[in-house]
Parts: sequence; structure tokens; C-alpha cells
Amino acid sequence: MKKGAPAPMPPAPPPTDTDTIHLDSNENPLGPGSAAMEALAKGYDFAGRYPTNAKPSTSQLRETIARKFGVRPENVVVSNGSGELLRVATRVYTSPSRHLLTASPTFASPEEMAAQVGSAVKRVLVDQEGKLDLDGMAAGARWAGLIFFCNPNNPTGTVHSFKAVADFVGRVRRESPETAILIDEAYHDYVDDPSYGSAVALALEHPNVLVTRTLSKAYGMAGMRVGYAIAQARTIESLQRWVMTFTTNSLAQAAAVASLKDPDHIDREHARNTEVRQYVTRFFKDLGFKTTDSHGNFVFVDIGRPSKEFKQACSRQGVIVGREFPPLEKTWARISLGTMEQMKKATAVFARVLSPATSGVGSESGGSAATTVSK
Amino acid sequence: MPFTRRSFVTTAGLSGASLLALRREAFAALPAPDSPMALPPPRLLLHNNENPLGPGQAVLDALRVQLKDGVPAGRYPFALAGETTKAIADRFGAKPENVALGCGSTQVLRSAVEVFTSSTKGLVSAIPTYEECMGDAELLGRPVRAIPLDSQMKIDLDAMAEASKGAGLVFVNNPNNPTATVWSGDAIGAFIEKVLKASPDTTILLDEAYHDYVTDPSHRTQVPLALKNPRVLVARTFSKAHGMAGMRTGYVLGMPETVAKLNAWEGSGYLNIPGLIAAAVSIKDQARLDAEKARNTEARQFTIDWFKARGCEPTDSQCNFLFVNINQPVRGFREACRKEGVLVARDFPPYENSHCRISIGTLEEMKQATEVFARALAAAPAKAA
Repeated sequence: MKKGAPAPMPPAPPPTDTDTIHLDSNENPLGPGSAAMEALAKGYDFAGRYPTNAKPSTSQLRETIARKFGVRPENVVVSNGSGELLRVATRVYTSPSRHLLTASPTFASPEEMAAQVGSAVKRVLVDQEGKLDLDGMAAGARWAGLIFFCNPNNPTGTVHSFKAVADFVGRVRRESPETAILIDEAYHDYVDDPSYGSAVALALEHPNVLVTRTLSKAYGMAGMRVGYAIAQARTIESLQRWVMTFTTNSLAQAAAVASLKDPDHIDREHARNTEVRQYVTRFFKDLGFKTTDSHGNFVFVDIGRPSKEFKQACSRQGVIVGREFPPLEKTWARISLGTMEQMKKATAVFARVLSPATSGVGSESGGSAATTVSK
Repeated sequence: MPFTRRSFVTTAGLSGASLLALRREAFAALPAPDSPMALPPPRLLLHNNENPLGPGQAVLDALRVQLKDGVPAGRYPFALAGETTKAIADRFGAKPENVALGCGSTQVLRSAVEVFTSSTKGLVSAIPTYEECMGDAELLGRPVRAIPLDSQMKIDLDAMAEASKGAGLVFVNNPNNPTATVWSGDAIGAFIEKVLKASPDTTILLDEAYHDYVTDPSHRTQVPLALKNPRVLVARTFSKAHGMAGMRTGYVLGMPETVAKLNAWEGSGYLNIPGLIAAAVSIKDQARLDAEKARNTEARQFTIDWFKARGCEPTDSQCNFLFVNINQPVRGFREACRKEGVLVARDFPPYENSHCRISIGTLEEMKQATEVFARALAAAPAKAA
């Protein structure tokens, strides 16, 4: 997404060539699980009813999420993907004098919203390993309205341990108690690092600390638009009033409730993704390219050349990879993980594009324009 | 809509008090005591102006085919949005740049308030009307001028035009929810011309959510005007005659430069894949729309006749709901109906002591509902002083 102009409407549909492999938006290549798809089919009966009147209703989705975390419905706000809550939180907590503190690079939605509403923004560069710089961010937190803390971080895929996050939250609460903290756990279900743990407990412990989750990643429902946040009831209240009326659709509610009650599917998806990630990571290491320690459904690779050129070259061979992520766009590329079969085809393309014989391929012009939007 | 906005009328005139918190918190999806699922039979939902039949068969068939494999549901909606935008543009002989999609018309209305109002250029709206714009303006702290309806419960176009001078956005719901009244194409055209002349920085947003149900031959859409004037927008929704309230897809038509401003605010990220698939099919299914209009007109006439025979006068409804004078406070009537399994709409001040909004279900449903209405009208306490 471009700064200040989120998700512009594409002027025309992208090529519908089914051979094209889309590795640009960190989507789940399989879509929702079978329980969700069965619920979706039943949900057609309620397609004509507002989400509050559907079965399951918005309230029932909220209750299902609350039960999953052992919290009260008042601790949950449901939204149109977690993206809506990232925008809402930025709007609620930041202003021209109370800045958004974010990482660089990280998921750009809060920063884009800050630009739209005229809030100040401070960015803290990730460290050498691509991890959020905890000391740097804590130092920049003074007087901040909101800290955006993406864990695992998109696009670098790195995670911080539960203890590190808890210490960070504690430090910010002490040193800048008015600062809200949004911990975005969009990729939670893909993490393999045993030191990692969800920050939901921290959100319930502290005011103005919230954890967002989405069903767009491991749950495979990016096109259905369901996300949510967990926080103290008063924090939830302040966000809820900004959430769009009827923001979740009736079919998505049915699919989401079924999916949230099917943890086995998430375990299988986690295992599937981990296997593919290991394969792709090894592929790049074998070719001598450095990757970050990714815990998402994507890898972040130092390809030693501008990511734009790499993207264009791959696009010409039917593989769409992630956009540029400044300030690391000169050498780093983000590649979402498809199925193993897709990644075997994609790595063959990467090998050709990155081979010394084709160096300079990126300087060719006239490559087909891949879709520029990504998540 | 299920909001509790009982005291909204106090915002008439220049807005001061913020009642928005009430509205939003009422929607906050805490377990609703009047949850439709908790209703006793016959469980008739006549409170949200939904199409009781849902989407047409062509839509359901398309959903079943295109979503048979889960993969499309796992993709972000950006790409498909382009195809649906084009299908809608084609329907109106327009270009994709003339169309902005939204998560229901809700998102479109909300974006219009964001983009076209400011702390100095406010919103002008009728009251009561569909409240999305007014609610959003209050949330954003933008000034609101709320103009009472005329004696026929129609939008007071003269007063609206007068109030529009210097406004950022004028919102006109035609036909108007909740009063179901419509203005002729000529009257709306003259109103627009007046506002455009008198207030050169004002944008006019016409919400034609109920367009497909109108039977008054003097009505006509303002889409042609929106396609050639950068200060006029027409919003439409798939939630009413298209039967897709649960699928959250709406759109706005206007000139490319105006539409681009709306798209730049929130883009296509809040659209959903099933809604986009359904919208692209439904927009082409005029036969289904015609059948739905005929079905609604028949059930509406039955209900109008039933009320008139009992001395309860409805306004001249052009929608899939009635606004009917039940000669008593709505609250008691509503409670009595709810106990018998029929939901009717909330209060709409300043008419809450006389007029009830009742959505039109199927003819069969209205026959069942009128039996309940008969008992509720009889059981209600004496007419309010």
C-alpha cells in the first residue's frame, strides 16, 4: 500500500492466469478449513439478514472469541479484519502532538492512517536481525499516543519472546503511562519459537494495551474480513465506537465461528506452513542468501539487489512476490509462502532470476505490472 | 437498525450534545435481549428493512460455484473489487472510475463525511433520516445541521437548501428512511440546482438505498446527474431489493475526481469476497429485481390496507417498510409485538408517540404479523396525551 492512499482500487482486474503464483500478500494458499467452508455454505440462508440478525450473529461471534480466550465479551471487539482496528486505534490514540511510534519496516497501515489524520509519526529501525528494537522503541515512547508493535513483525518475520514483550510493556507503562500499546499478533498461529507467547495476558492486565488478531492468515479468511482485539473493557469501549456499523458480514461470521471452534485445522496449517518455510529458507541459504528468522507465512531474504527489480523479474515468470519495504528495499525481498508445490515452482524461478548469469535482469524494462497492493 | 437513539431528536438545529456514544454502545454487540433467535414463533424480523427472501438464485448459484474451493476466500479482496466495480459501472453505462465500492453503503456514507466535511464545513441532514452520516459527523466532531421533516413527513427541501450554504456535505435519503416518503425527480433536481448555485463548496450525497422499491412514477434516480457533476454523488446498496444485507456491499456513483477522493480514504480493504461475487451477479439480474419489487408492492399494499381499515394512516410508502400512525406510543406496541414473536423498529423521534416503522416481509409473513398487530393495538394503553 502506498502511504496516504491505502489499497487503491485497481483500475482493472489482474491477470486471471491460474498459473500465476501469488506470493505477495501473506495469504493462506488453501483458504478456510473444511469446517469454515461448511458453515459458509449454511450461512447463505442468512445472506439477506444484517449481521446482527444472522446466525451466528455478531454477538455470537464475539462470545465465541471471548470463550477462546477465557475472557468476557466486553473484552473483545470484532472488526473488518484487524486492519480496521489498526486504523481505529491510530485515530483514537494519536494526534499531531501525541505521535505514533512504529518500527521500520513494519506493517504500514497505522502509519498510513496517521498520515491521513495528520498525526505525528516516529519510526525506529529494526535491528541487524530484523527484530523490533526494543530499547530504541522504549526510548521513543515518551509522549507517544500509540506504539504499534507487530509480533511477529511483518515483513521481517522476527519475534520477541513473551518475557521481552512483557518487559517492554512494563517499561513503557512506567516511563510513559499515557501511551497506548497495540500488539499486532496477526501471525501468532505460525510461530515456532518456544520463547514466544501471546501478549493477551498483558492486554488484560494493563489499560490501553491491546492485542489484535486476524482470521486473514492461518485461518485462511483474508477475503472474508474478520479480525478482533482483546483488551480491558474500557479500552474496548473506546475502540468499539469507531468500528464501522455492520462491519463483519453474515457469511464471515458463520465461517469464523466454525473456524474458531476447529483448532485442529490451525495446528495442521501451522505444520504445513512450517514445512514450506523450512524448505524455502534452506533454498535461499543453499544459494548463499541470508534470511531473517521468520515465524510468519513468509520469508524475508537479502537478495543482494533491489527488491523492485527482483519482483519485476519474477513477475515476468509468473511469480508475484512482495512489494518494496523501505528502508530495506535495496536488498531485501518479502516472499509469501504458498503450498509446497507452488514453492517448488517458485524457487525454480527464483534460482533463475538470482543466478549470476542473469544478473542485471532487473534492469530490463516493460515487465508486466504486478498488483501493487499487499498486506 | 438496532440502535437505541431515543433522544437523537435533541440534535435538531445545530448539534451540541453528542448522543453518538449511546448509538455506538448500543450496537456494541453485547448480547441483545431482543435477539431474533430468542424470539418466540412466528419469529418475524420486521425491524431492519431487510429483503425477506435474501439474494436471488443466480447469486446463490454463483457463490456455490465460485466458493466451492476455499482458495478465493483466502485471498484479499483487492483484485476482485476491480471486476465488481466494472460490472456495476457497466450497469449504469459508466466507467469503473465512476464507481467506489464500500462495505455496505455504510462505508461510502462514512467516507463521504470524512472527506467532504471539516470542523468548519459541516453536514446538513434531515431528521429523522438514515443516521449513518449524522452519527459519523458527531463522532468526528464535525458540525451538524439537522433539519426537521415537513408536515407530510417528507424531507424539507427548502429548509435543507437554506441550511446548506457553507456546508461541506448535504445528505438526502430519497426515499427517506424511516418515513418512506419520496420526492419527485424534478423536485430533487431543483433542490440540487439550488444548492449548487447557493453554496459552491458543498457536495450533495443522495442515498437511493430504496430506489428499486419506488412505485411513484414521478421518482427518478439522480445517477445521470452524479455522472456529470463533480459535486453530486449517488449511493446505492445491495442490502435492500438485492437481498444482500448480510453480505455488506454498497457503492457510490459520481465523477472520477469525486469518487477518487472516497476511494483514497479507505480503499477496497473492507470489501469481502462473497459480497463482491454476489454483487457482480446481482447487478445484472434485473428480472430478479423486478420480481422483488412486485412482491414487495403487493405485500406492502396488503399491509397498508390492513392498517387503514383500522384507522391507522401510513405515509405514502415507496419502500420495503411502512411508517404508520398507530395512534399510540410505539414503545408499548413494540413490546407487545416482540412478546408475540414479531420485531418492529425502534423509536424515531419526534414521532415516537405516534408512528411505527414496520418492514415488509413476505405476504404470508404480513398476514401472520397483522394478527399480532391487531392484538398489540388492542392491548396497548390509551393514546398518549
